[in-house]
Amino acid sequence: MTPQRAMFWKIEDVWLFYVIAFIALGLFTVGVAIHIFVWRKSAPHGKTSFSWPALKHSLMDIFLGLRVFKGDIPAGIAHFLIFWGFVILTIGTTLLVVDDHLYHFLLGRNHLVFEVSMEIGGLFLSAGIIWALVRRYIQRVPRLEHRLEDAIVPLWLLAAAFSGFLLEALRLAAQRPPWGNWSFIGWAIAGWIPQGVAESVYPDLWWGHALLCLGFIAIIPYTKLFHVIGAPAAYYLHHSEEKSAGASLAPMEPGDSLNPADVAVLDACMRCGRCVQACPSNGAGEPFSPRDFVQAARHSLWLEHSPAGDIRFLSKQRPIEDKAAWYCTTCAACLEVCPVYGATFEAIARKRASLVEEGKGVPDLMNQTLERLFNYDNPWVSSKRERGAWAKGLDIPVLKADGKESQLCYFAGCTTSFDARAQEIAKAFCGILKHTGVSFGIMADKEPCCGDIARVTGELGLFQEKMENCLELFDKYSIKDVVTSSPHCFHTFLNEYSQTPFRVRHYSSVLKELMAEGRLKPKNPVNSTVTYHDPCYLGRHNRNFEEPREVIGSIPGIKLVEMSHHGSESLCCGGGGGRMWQGTDLRGEARMSEIRIREARETGADILITTCPLCLVMLEDALKTVGLEGKMKVMDLNELVLQSIEQ
Amino acid sequence: MKEPQIIVCAKQIPDPEAPFSNVTVNVEKKQVLVDAPDVISPYDENALEAAIRIKEELGGKITVLSMGRKVSDTVLRKTIAAGADALILLEDPLFEGLESNSVAYVLSCAIKKIVAYDLVLTGRQAGDWDSGQVGLILAEMLDIPCISMARSIKIHDGAVVVEKTVPVGYEVVEAGLPALVTVSNEVGELRYVARSKMLGLLRRPMPIPKWGLKDLGDNAERLKKVQLMELAPPADMGRACTIIEGSTDEQAARLAAVLKELR
Amino acid sequence: MSEILLLVESKDGVLDKKTLELIRGASGLGKELGIGASAVVVGNQTAQLAEEVASFGLAKVYKLEHPLLEGFKPDAWVGALEWLCKQIAPRIVLMSHSFVGKEVAPRLACRLNTELTTDCLALKIDPNDGALVRTKPIYGGNAIAALRCEGLPQMVTVRKNAFEPAEQVTAKSDIFDMAPAIDESILRVKSIKTVPEQVVELDKANVVISGGRGIVDKDDFQMLTDLAAAISKALGNVVMIGCSRPVVDKCWMTSDRQVGLTGTIIAPDAYVAVGISGAIQHLVGMIRSKKIVAINTDPSCNMFKVADYGVVADYKDLIPALLKKLEG
Ligand SMILES: Cc1cc2nc3c(=O)[nH]c(=O)nc-3n(C[C@H](O)[C@H](O)[C@H](O)COP(=O)(O)OP(=O)(O)OC[C@H]3O[C@@H](n4cnc5c(N)ncnc54)[C@H](O)[C@@H]3O)c2cc1C
Ligand code: SF4
Ligand code: SF4
Repeated sequence: MTPQRAMFWKIEDVWLFYVIAFIALGLFTVGVAIHIFVWRKSAPHGKTSFSWPALKHSLMDIFLGLRVFKGDIPAGIAHFLIFWGFVILTIGTTLLVVDDHLYHFLLGRNHLVFEVSMEIGGLFLSAGIIWALVRRYIQRVPRLEHRLEDAIVPLWLLAAAFSGFLLEALRLAAQRPPWGNWSFIGWAIAGWIPQGVAESVYPDLWWGHALLCLGFIAIIPYTKLFHVIGAPAAYYLHHSEEKSAGASLAPMEPGDSLNPADVAVLDACMRCGRCVQACPSNGAGEPFSPRDFVQAARHSLWLEHSPAGDIRFLSKQRPIEDKAAWYCTTCAACLEVCPVYGATFEAIARKRASLVEEGKGVPDLMNQTLERLFNYDNPWVSSKRERGAWAKGLDIPVLKADGKESQLCYFAGCTTSFDARAQEIAKAFCGILKHTGVSFGIMADKEPCCGDIARVTGELGLFQEKMENCLELFDKYSIKDVVTSSPHCFHTFLNEYSQTPFRVRHYSSVLKELMAEGRLKPKNPVNSTVTYHDPCYLGRHNRNFEEPREVIGSIPGIKLVEMSHHGSESLCCGGGGGRMWQGTDLRGEARMSEIRIREARETGADILITTCPLCLVMLEDALKTVGLEGKMKVMDLNELVLQSIEQ
Repeated sequence: MKEPQIIVCAKQIPDPEAPFSNVTVNVEKKQVLVDAPDVISPYDENALEAAIRIKEELGGKITVLSMGRKVSDTVLRKTIAAGADALILLEDPLFEGLESNSVAYVLSCAIKKIVAYDLVLTGRQAGDWDSGQVGLILAEMLDIPCISMARSIKIHDGAVVVEKTVPVGYEVVEAGLPALVTVSNEVGELRYVARSKMLGLLRRPMPIPKWGLKDLGDNAERLKKVQLMELAPPADMGRACTIIEGSTDEQAARLAAVLKELR
Repeated sequence: MSEILLLVESKDGVLDKKTLELIRGASGLGKELGIGASAVVVGNQTAQLAEEVASFGLAKVYKLEHPLLEGFKPDAWVGALEWLCKQIAPRIVLMSHSFVGKEVAPRLACRLNTELTTDCLALKIDPNDGALVRTKPIYGGNAIAALRCEGLPQMVTVRKNAFEPAEQVTAKSDIFDMAPAIDESILRVKSIKTVPEQVVELDKANVVISGGRGIVDKDDFQMLTDLAAAISKALGNVVMIGCSRPVVDKCWMTSDRQVGLTGTIIAPDAYVAVGISGAIQHLVGMIRSKKIVAINTDPSCNMFKVADYGVVADYKDLIPALLKKLEG
């Protein structure tokens, strides 16, 4: 006898199976079609195009599960097992159908390989699900939720896998084929089952298994299982979108703001909670969860655009307040860890834009700050005159309009210009530039605001105005080369402006270049242990992790130690996204900046170095509020370098 | 009840939040020069916010009246962007530098010209001259009930119910319509007006009626100017810090003198 | 046209200090013009108060009594005062720039068809024509204007502290009973209830004394409280205690006292910063104060850059000494 098996052995009313299968596939198709409908409605102007690199990148993400392994290997393994188990079983079952109806090829050796593969597939699937259930319900990994759907989906899948094994065991027990031991699990179970029982129970169980499997296919689009389609779509759309280095909140016209990728991501989110774990606001005990926000954003899109309302019937949408939109610091930590590249802060920026447009949900302090920004071109003081005051007595050339020769423009930015502590950044950096003989100038009281705060708070109209104003002024001053003290200005100029007709660098790059050229040589030893805080907009958003570290490393005597969160996993100081200008009503159990400064202290470092005025102000403040003053210092990189070159 | 017709009086002034160093006094010309952009007087913004909240609840129409020698609709269209329905500018060279009675008179003529109204709202005082008179006088001239210093305003069955700030807390008072209420900052800040909304409005052609004295009865002899005799800067405007030196005792004595001068 | 009339205010039967100042002011103006100064006491039962007012050397005291004048109902008060002014035709009417004065004066002026100047810092008589010249701060105190107005009576409201309070004399003024012709019909606004509230509202203070991290001991805030009491006593205005954020962080003060970006934004007549370095997040909240006094041990601290007066001293030495000077 050649090893083989018949699909409908002992099954009557096969037509019924086809009817049910048709219904299941129908439900599946309808569900997917509604998704596509909603996506098209939500992003009416979105274009998708074919891109081979994007496809390649997506396939790697899908089949290697790189995004899932990232930062959580146990979860990665669980997902890997479920994923491959599911893939093998799906392919296997499809082959079986082909074998039965079209071309009988699962014979002899083919059949044996098939049987073994199916065993392995089932084993992977079951092991993966059990592990996942253990993690969620026994280990109780904090980021995982316990909604109805979170239990039903894996149990369903597990029931399908187990019933598959049992069914196989029954068949083997009834048929006892000589090659039966190739199906090693089924065979082992079959040993326990009397032949007569097996034969009588088999058809019922077959129907049960069929219903479970077909039902499973049917519910995919109506549960978080949709990620099996949503995630690949999100990957492809994400990779094929033209994006700057980091993710950007590209200037959006409210109302016509969504890209296909933004929408796909919302539906691909399976509430894994990695973003919650990474989010500094949530970590500080603030009542904000990026996951809930993403889910709420998804829900409201569905209510707006879906003909059938929200079709996720197993998970109730929790209500979320408008106020939630103001917690995010736009630090991008969530984007770093989200398996489907969900950048919550983009959804947040859209929400902010609509609140600003509506006008009502804007917190008082933000309202005042934006008014100040409009009237006085900075978020701090009601005056433009004081802007260059930090440079008084330092003999720094002031650039002139229509200046013939273009030279390096040092763009101090609002906070560096007005905050007494942050002014030290400007003074130190100018000191270094003078020391190295670089010719440069400042715009002093003519310096404009880059508009970052307007953008991150969703005041896109004001941002547009600030951008136009800046571009016009730079043009008038023939400015072609800009160096900023703030990573925020740097990022805004580089990635958020519709055009950047000038070269722009953050000062850390300039320091690095000056060192490479040999013009800047730190020589005085700074005998300290230091640690470095990556500002979100220099690091995660613009992937510059190394240059500041290289500059630090080149200072004699210095020892750099890393905090547990560093590089792309750096923890936000809490000052970005307009949070600096938010009232105490958003405060959580701890301040983000305090959590960060404690972490810095744990490294045993004497100095915490940063490269952003907002970080400097926030962390210096936290140093005092946690009572570490005198035990540790917070310094800007410029101050450190200046120390090392000054006589 | 029928939807309320609300009139809000709003004045355009140089930003009163500007730092002192941006304000200079020209003694000869008897002029105050403020190096700051023009804004709507903050309490008038509060009044507008109160009006918009009533409209959100009951519907109706909000008409903003603004009077001056020259009023800029780039500043005042903010009221429309925020939620007002109509803006009427009362503009005439003769309206420059009017004293409070005359201002109230012009406003009352305009309001009488509008005919139908249920509620008039004004800020409790203007952010430049801080007189706090116009609203109250206007109520007298219109001969309608008058409630000052509101921190919350509701319309109920043809009456206006106001929480009025009083020294010990607040008092709940009620008056029949039409009535005039002067609004205090406790009402809440004017909702944020997005720039895009503002710009959209500025680009859109919009009929903004301008009424001069001719349209309001042409009663020039009723208009009187403020009779400014002298204008002086306050005792010490510049913030050059005087460091009080000496022994602790001397420092204390001089500081005590400074503090006593505050009266 | 032969007298100066001032409106008497009281709280719980006690004569308001601002009224005493008005009495002094009115008497002075009266002397200059050679006419008498009188006061009007408004209420339902005013005998006792009128008696007290009569001991300050005024020409006359009017008792404007009516059941409707019980409590402060603006409609009734305006109506009654209008009636009185029409009876006695005063040349000048003075009121305090107080809660009552701010509401009554403009409406009364309108009814008497005259012009009013509010919130005057000083008053004088033009020697040429005897008109009342009013000095008033405008643009938030950035400029001081001297004005004159038309119409009779000449009406003003006067800011507190414009004059020294009057002192009692032995001679008693004559008291006149006046029964205003008013009735229920003048009440157009109905009072439903009054709800008392107690919150620290720093923006209501004339002077705010703030302590920062420089205050090393919680008990030292008592010094600030004493200083506040002394200033309040010396100047007769509302003095409150504020603080910078570190003080709130230490839970020494509640957050409604925090001044700054994430606290309250205020612009009092005077702001005294003790042991506060002057971070911009703090300055945002108080930079518009009319006068800023800084007490700090660090001569280079930022607060001195924005202050009008600075004392480089340890508050622990300075404040006790200052208290003595204020009291002495
Ligand atoms: C986002 C953000 C929002 C903030 N919001 C606010 C806010 O709303 N309000 C606010 O106040 N802060 C706020 N801060 C904090 C602010 O940056 C400063 O840290 C804070 O204002 C400093 O308070 P301080 O001046 O009391 O303390 P310090 O800066 O520590 O100053 C103490 C001062 O006391 C002086 N001193 C010490 N001993 C004596 C003595 N014996 N006698 C006299 N002087 C002495 C010292 O010389 C020093 O100048 C905010 C910070 C951030 C980052
Ligand atoms: S947004 Fe991303 S990281 Fe957050 S729960 Fe959804 S899938 Fe997970
Ligand atoms: S950007 Fe940062 S703060 Fe905002 S949701 Fe993501 S992790 Fe949280």
